[in-house]
Amino acid sequence: MPELRPILLVEDSPRDLELTLAALEKCQLANEIVVARDGAEAIDYLFGTGIHEGRPSGDPTVVLLDLKLPKIDGLEVLERVKKDERLHHIPIVMLTSSREEQDLVRSYELGVNAFVVKPVEFKQFFKAIQDLGVFWALLNEPPPGYRAKDGG
Amino acid sequence: MDRSEINLESCAQEPIHIPGAIQPHGALIVLRPADLTVLQASRNAGAFFGADLRLGGPAPAILDSLNDDIRNWHESSEAVFQKDISDATLTAHRSGGLVILEVERSGTQTLGSLFARLRGFAQVLSTQADVAGSLAAAARFVHDLTGFDRVLVYKFDDDWNGHVVAEAGNGRLPSYLDLRFPAGDIPAQARALYAANRLRVIPDASYEPVPIDAGREIGTAGSPLDLSFSQLRSVSPVHLEYMHNMGTAASMSMSIIIDGRLWGLVACHSAEPHMVPVRVRDACDFIVQSLAMRIAAQVHSQDATRRVELARISGDLLRAMTSASSWSEGLETLPKDLVAQVGASGAAIIAQGECHKVGITPTDDEVRSIVGWLSGRADDDIFATTSLAADFPSAEAFAGEASGIIAIRLSELYENWLIWFRPEVIRTVQWAGDPHKIVQEKGRIHPRKSFQAWSENVRLHSQAWSEAELSAARDLRNAIVGIVLRKAEELGELTSELQRSNKELEAFSYSVSHDLRAPFRHIVGFAQLLTDRENSLDEKSRHYLRTISDSALAAGRLVDGLLNFSQLGRASITHKHVDMNKLVAEVVKSVILNQDDRAISWSIEPLPTAWGDATLLRQVWFNIIENAVKYSRHRNPSEIRVRGSVKGDVTTYSVSDNGVGFDMAYVGKLFGVFQRLQRAEDFEGTGIGLALVRRIVERHNGSITAHGEVDKGATFVFALPGPEKKGRAHA
Repeated sequence: MPELRPILLVEDSPRDLELTLAALEKCQLANEIVVARDGAEAIDYLFGTGIHEGRPSGDPTVVLLDLKLPKIDGLEVLERVKKDERLHHIPIVMLTSSREEQDLVRSYELGVNAFVVKPVEFKQFFKAIQDLGVFWALLNEPPPGYRAKDGG
Repeated sequence: MDRSEINLESCAQEPIHIPGAIQPHGALIVLRPADLTVLQASRNAGAFFGADLRLGGPAPAILDSLNDDIRNWHESSEAVFQKDISDATLTAHRSGGLVILEVERSGTQTLGSLFARLRGFAQVLSTQADVAGSLAAAARFVHDLTGFDRVLVYKFDDDWNGHVVAEAGNGRLPSYLDLRFPAGDIPAQARALYAANRLRVIPDASYEPVPIDAGREIGTAGSPLDLSFSQLRSVSPVHLEYMHNMGTAASMSMSIIIDGRLWGLVACHSAEPHMVPVRVRDACDFIVQSLAMRIAAQVHSQDATRRVELARISGDLLRAMTSASSWSEGLETLPKDLVAQVGASGAAIIAQGECHKVGITPTDDEVRSIVGWLSGRADDDIFATTSLAADFPSAEAFAGEASGIIAIRLSELYENWLIWFRPEVIRTVQWAGDPHKIVQEKGRIHPRKSFQAWSENVRLHSQAWSEAELSAARDLRNAIVGIVLRKAEELGELTSELQRSNKELEAFSYSVSHDLRAPFRHIVGFAQLLTDRENSLDEKSRHYLRTISDSALAAGRLVDGLLNFSQLGRASITHKHVDMNKLVAEVVKSVILNQDDRAISWSIEPLPTAWGDATLLRQVWFNIIENAVKYSRHRNPSEIRVRGSVKGDVTTYSVSDNGVGFDMAYVGKLFGVFQRLQRAEDFEGTGIGLALVRRIVERHNGSITAHGEVDKGATFVFALPGPEKKGRAHA
């Protein structure tokens, strides 16, 4: 079984945050959930800078990234992670209210791993989060050599 | 010998200013200015100057009292010296450094009586409103004053063809009014002479020329005597033959010079020899000069009036073009002005493949043949000719309508032209006098033959386009091009305006999709969390919670549906061949996923390939099939049939069910946004599904219809055009 690395949840809306956390909780994942409330905070966490400077090493197992975020928006966070040699392997799932095709296209161009439009229906939303959590946190194997580089 | 050869060959080469002879109604001597020695003399000089006249000798005694006057005049800048001596009039002028002295018998007219008549003429002339009136008045007056049988006024056109524009006479000679003469009838060197010396006279065409003898003095025999300004100069034998054939024995002609150019002539003729004394000729010269000034003033004022009129026409045309939806429509509203703009008799507007004609023009096909020929020329934007047939031989067929054209090209991309037409000039000629009456004309050259020659010269020619008319055409072209450019700019602005508002709409719908959906999601989510958490809730409370959740869910779906609908209007359609069998199979699979264990009997026939956007067509199938499943859920089993057919370029598809159907009275509401025919508690739905379907089908240039019967079922039929089909396909 892979070691339990945290899930990074980037969400600015407190209500969405609460709902997503409730959904993740129901999945009974053992992974720690790290929450960032805007794009800048997410960047700080991922790059170990700013308020997260000197945080314990280890990259998140998956990033659940809202599209519309204050300061630095989701697409820019996505772009910076996917362009960074050390971080680009981290799976990023775009979570968004938007059904806009342009966002979807842009996300895939930037290398997003999955794009999920938050369903209005809670059951579906719950299921989507659960699936994502299980898939990325439990089942998805990181690419070879990843752990070695990380120092185990 | 051909007549034209006489004119153009013999006459044009004849050195008419140095004939070496004079007419016999006077005498001529040539004096050396320094000492007034007689260097040359006409052979009849003795009869006028006295028997003491001899070559190489001093001035004759008759001039004794005038010697000082002549010397003083010669030192002055006066062109002519004139003096009466008893019954003769002496006239002197300079030629080649010498003094030419001519003498003629004076007439009986006194200066006083001539002056009174000239004053009368000046009054008459000043009352003439136009050029034609002035010309007629002058002709009448010269006729009265000189007693010639006929007085004509000729006008030269730009090519030096002559046209008789006024006439006065006693009927003894035939009328030549409106007769035309080719340029060759008055050769270039004769015109040059006429421009220099304003008056010529031939009292008797059958005269014997009197030779001029020269003494052996050095410097006089070498170069021939230039008689350009001589009153007595002997004329060309060709001219005498011409007079003879016209039936005239005497003539006098005076030049009308306007702005330094030979504008026309006043030509006088008599059937019998007719002498006009010097004083009367001088009076006629004065009349013609007054006439020239009058014409100049009237021509200039007519030009000014015409320019004002043209400016008005241009203004009107411009206004019409800018207020109409296109320049061509604007011009069509003012046909008279369009033609008047360049003084044409007809015009054709060729724009966007249409040919609109105004006034006298060739037929549509002929106009198009001109356009075809014009567009084959790699030429300027303006083309003008007075003889289209010379460049474009097949134009001879419609020379009567279009010998002259001005064509302006209005687009580099399309065959957009504006063409003005002028008819062949021969067809516009008015012939006032009866040509058959000219019976006494005979021989090789005479006016009737001249008229024929002129007719031949101007065959397939129109009247010339003036510089003002050509520049009016150019101005109109610039105006049209300006208008077209401005319209294009306006269109460009409109396009960018639309793009901007489209962008705003996109931003709006983007914001709606994020911000309006979220609260509904939150309501649903927290209601669910509450339901899951509170086991102690009573049934009523649970019902309330469910209602909150359901309402928010419905609102959320509505937002999704609306967004879908609005996105469809903006999304571009990518056309491909679409396998409808595959689409339907996928759709059926996903629709029955949520239907538990319902009994549905599917009957799906093979479907023709469609031409369209697969993603959007999938949405069409999904909405229609989902409806069929939804509205037949109370049947056991539900029966759903899917069919397709091809007719020409159009493919048609239908979906039928045995569900609740609908009343055909409401069929019009079926495809409207938010229009529902079922109650919400019976069948869920947003009222957007079918609106979406119709929008997709219509964006494919197709159409959709529905047939229903209450409690029997419904059928939806949609038709899509193929790749080659132009226009809408009908279901």
